[in-house]
Amino acid sequence: MNNLKSNNNSVNKGALAQKLFMYIALAIFVLVVIIPFYWLMKASVSTPEQLVEIPPLLFPKPVLDNFQTLATQLPLTQYLLNSIIFSGVTALATVFCCFLAAYAFARIPCPGSSFLLWALVITMALPEIATIIPLYRMLGAMHLLDSLTGLIFVMTSVLTPFTVWVFIPFIKQIPISIEEAAVVDGANLWTILWRIYLPVMTPAIVTMMIINFVNAWNNLLYPLTFSVTAKSKCMSVAITEVFQTEVPWGQPWHLVSALGVVMVIPVLVLILSSQRAVVRGLTHGAVK
Amino acid sequence: MHQNKRKAILVFAILVAPVILLRLATAAYPIGQTIWLSMTDTHLFESEHAFVGLDNYRNLFADPEFRSILGFSLVFIVASTLLEIFFGLLIASLLNTKFKGRFLARTINLLPWAIPTIVAAYAFQWLLDDQFGMFSHWISQFTGMRPSVMSSALNARITLILVNVWKNASFMAIIFLAGLQGVPQELYEAARVDGAGPLTRFFKITIPMLMPLLITMGMFFLIWQLTNFDLVYGLTSGGPGTATTIVPLNIFHEGLIFFKFGYASAISVILMVFVAVLGLVGVWQFRRFDY
Repeated sequence: MNNLKSNNNSVNKGALAQKLFMYIALAIFVLVVIIPFYWLMKASVSTPEQLVEIPPLLFPKPVLDNFQTLATQLPLTQYLLNSIIFSGVTALATVFCCFLAAYAFARIPCPGSSFLLWALVITMALPEIATIIPLYRMLGAMHLLDSLTGLIFVMTSVLTPFTVWVFIPFIKQIPISIEEAAVVDGANLWTILWRIYLPVMTPAIVTMMIINFVNAWNNLLYPLTFSVTAKSKCMSVAITEVFQTEVPWGQPWHLVSALGVVMVIPVLVLILSSQRAVVRGLTHGAVK
Repeated sequence: MHQNKRKAILVFAILVAPVILLRLATAAYPIGQTIWLSMTDTHLFESEHAFVGLDNYRNLFADPEFRSILGFSLVFIVASTLLEIFFGLLIASLLNTKFKGRFLARTINLLPWAIPTIVAAYAFQWLLDDQFGMFSHWISQFTGMRPSVMSSALNARITLILVNVWKNASFMAIIFLAGLQGVPQELYEAARVDGAGPLTRFFKITIPMLMPLLITMGMFFLIWQLTNFDLVYGLTSGGPGTATTIVPLNIFHEGLIFFKFGYASAISVILMVFVAVLGLVGVWQFRRFDY
């Protein structure tokens, strides 16, 4: 009896130590993730003088001057609008094309279809940078350099393999008997796609639109390479330009941070508002 | 019946056409074009260009700078991927245990993945600023020395890899967490009854159950890190010197700053060959694990 009790006690102690260890690990994890964000947010509401104080001010009284400075020194609204159009149209176009293609791959038997899908999916591995020079020349020849159309064209294409890959299992889940019943009732392909598949697929479609929107929003390489003027420059390019302006103490971190915050907020709102769906979309391809 | 089949093929073709045409125009054609350009001495500002065969490749491999860029690229992807798997597993196991505020912790885990890489790069550069950054302030409080993180090659390389891990381990953790949720809870219960501690359970259950996923994600990340441009561009610009330059930034410099299209295309082809080799190994692994 005594023996059993002490045994129980040591188990409890072990469990307690485990719990403690877990909470310490958790605290470290949260701090490591949060600190860079905090540092960015803090700088965005600090004056330049506050930033160069030693020791660093941890909680300055927030001022919004930096955002005002950005708005007067940059065509900020134009950049924001460009980013929204670029990401929004890309997300829409990708999802539209991929919905059609995924249906075909999942439901229409056609010789060579699995080879075609395989060829499509491996282009996911193609590094963006490896084809940047031909794309630059191609867009130049098509007079699509420095235009949102050109950016949308390239970005939409880049995002299609993953989107098709995610959509196919979603379509295959839908019982084919529903489609067959509709065919018997005389429904044509258009009706089947729009009346049967689209409603069932809506969660997956919204998820992929969010993921693709964020992907395009965060993309730096294409706008950096293809955009020349404010006509087509996006937020990701704007921040590199602000970074490159010199101030006596190095970089204008107050402005870079403020622009960074402007760039991060829409992404966070989108991702966090649909967290569960986004995670499901991301893990769908990888985890069965 | 025959006509039905024909009709099906036609419908199939129409439905996949937008995606396939897009990929032909912006992937297939540029790949061919890159290979062709890599065997010429094309330059943006020179109208004449000649076929030079494999000269670009010969020059590249004879160039010690390029060899060191290639070497560091390999170190970068391997070290990053291993660390990301390690921390990804750690974070995923942590977020898979039951505690108050778990949903919030999972939300926090999404942050590094979600934010633009270029913003993360600048945030870290500012955090690590050797005069006014918080990091160097803390280090100097403890050691009395102000570390200059970015000025020595080794420090800059380590920093780049660690920041990269910060940015990408969370994505790894998202995937692993989903994998962990698929591991039957009874296995853990049974092991606990048999007296297995948390470490034993981790190595005897978690790791073997996740092994196929670990390998797939490992291969995927190796390839994916090879395409990393934003972080290096924003955090170190490849410096000091070319110490932290990896292949994508090198292509960007040669091709889009110096406009040596032919030369940069040769580097691009080398990059694509690397990706293809890693991809083939990945597919082979995929089959071996019957996943």
